[in-house]
Amino acid sequence: MKAKTLRVVIPLAVMAVIAVGFYLNTGVGTLSAIGWADVSLLCPLGALAAMLASKSIVPQAVISLVIAVAAIVVLGRAFCAWVCPVPIVSKLRGLFSKGKTTGSGEDAGGAVGAATATTSDAAVAPLSASEKALLSKGSGCASCREKRGAVDSRHFVLGGALLSAAIFGFPVFCLVCPIGLTFATILLVMLLFSNGDVTWSVVVIPALLLVEVVFFRKWCSKLCPLSAFMSLIGKANRTFRPAVDESACLETSKGATCGTCATVCTEGIDPRHPELGANWSECTKCRACVEACPAHAISLPLLPRKRSSEGTPALDSVDEVAQQR
Amino acid sequence: MEPEHNNERPAERASEKTYAGMTRRTLCLGVGGAAVMLGLGGLTFVGSTPLVRPPGGQDEEHLMSACIRCEKCFEICPHDIIQPAHIEDGILGMRTPTLKFSQSWCDWCKEANGGEPLCVKVCPTEALKLPVDATPETTILGKAVLNRDLCLAYKLTGCRFCYDACPYEAMGLDEANRPYVIEDPCNGCGACESVCVSLQNGSISQGTNRRAIVIEPYEEGR
Repeated sequence: MKAKTLRVVIPLAVMAVIAVGFYLNTGVGTLSAIGWADVSLLCPLGALAAMLASKSIVPQAVISLVIAVAAIVVLGRAFCAWVCPVPIVSKLRGLFSKGKTTGSGEDAGGAVGAATATTSDAAVAPLSASEKALLSKGSGCASCREKRGAVDSRHFVLGGALLSAAIFGFPVFCLVCPIGLTFATILLVMLLFSNGDVTWSVVVIPALLLVEVVFFRKWCSKLCPLSAFMSLIGKANRTFRPAVDESACLETSKGATCGTCATVCTEGIDPRHPELGANWSECTKCRACVEACPAHAISLPLLPRKRSSEGTPALDSVDEVAQQR
Repeated sequence: MEPEHNNERPAERASEKTYAGMTRRTLCLGVGGAAVMLGLGGLTFVGSTPLVRPPGGQDEEHLMSACIRCEKCFEICPHDIIQPAHIEDGILGMRTPTLKFSQSWCDWCKEANGGEPLCVKVCPTEALKLPVDATPETTILGKAVLNRDLCLAYKLTGCRFCYDACPYEAMGLDEANRPYVIEDPCNGCGACESVCVSLQNGSISQGTNRRAIVIEPYEEGR
């Protein structure tokens, strides 16, 4: 199955398992505290906020934090692409924008299609002088990329959420967390039908969820504090990082313009020229670049490969500029 | 998530002024988001209705400080009586655990787990936490309140389901065999409410949505 399909199937399966688990009283919990009976892996943000708010050390929360940090170091933000239900919910956006450009899924798909089409046309066209200049200009901004990679709006939300929890004494973000709201919606609908538990919550909670992720299009990349947490810890991530096989890549092997991998990346990373795009710590290991690459030059190796030109892009001009800095 | 996001990057970088590496828009969004988080914190000053909490949730302040709304206790409860608090009971407490005795009552998981409440056992943040010497008798979840206007026994039907159900000898029968609550031994387990038939068997008051005997939140020193 293609990664794009799997990225829909797996979160749906997670939701289904949790719903069935709820029905059968098994104690699998939700993604906020997934596990079995009294063993749960807490959401790292929930664990932190609960401990800050209750001003106490909870063993299970500390253990969960350590496990979460270790998992993020190994897998980066893979949770965002493979498990989190929010991208699935945000696909509902398609329902609200008929005729216009639809949900992110189709958007990305369309982009891949378009990019591949242009690639096949331009595959053998060498880089023009202006394009080379543009590339080197981009890498000239490597210093400002460093700064930009450090914090963005998500980190403010993360800081605000933790500070607020500490000041006001309750895990503030949990009230509005779209992951929690997704499972709350499932639970409330189940209770509505099984127990006749009639409440406005069953309207308000899905409405809040929709406002957050459907109408607020950039929730994941601009606001989600969990994403911020993962990108902070993800700076230590070296494994499963997209690696370009230079002997196959159209740019290095044929001197062609391509950029498909950068176009399809939903996080704005440019795997071919990492200094041009977002930081590697944003990588969700979604495999979009791997599958979109027309030359099949990209892979996600467990460990970073030793490359002859370590960390430097293939273009000579870019090389030079990089060395000057 | 948005491919067009990439395209605007170079332009952004070239033309817009940045603050610590962020565009003004990003900075505003971040500051706005953080402000919303702090504003939401202010909900703690908005009052909420007292609720009947599962065992270990009697310290309301501690429960609110540690509950992350993970839904684990709702799921594990073998009697399905732990349910999320409604928004009608206050925005702050929404989705925190409450007890609803419409189907069953709290026996501290005597059958399911040998008398150790599973909700307390599974709570990952220890929001539900019992003192070491806690027993069902000393942990007051709430108090039963009998509404004589709705109670079938007070129409002299001879109904005494609640009296028979009470495991803590907290119900008495008066000279006309009508049940009444003995408040002191009542710990709010909900057995009486779960068996009350006033709604099913012809409630006298039309439009009522509560049974004749219900567990109400208990506040110390009330």
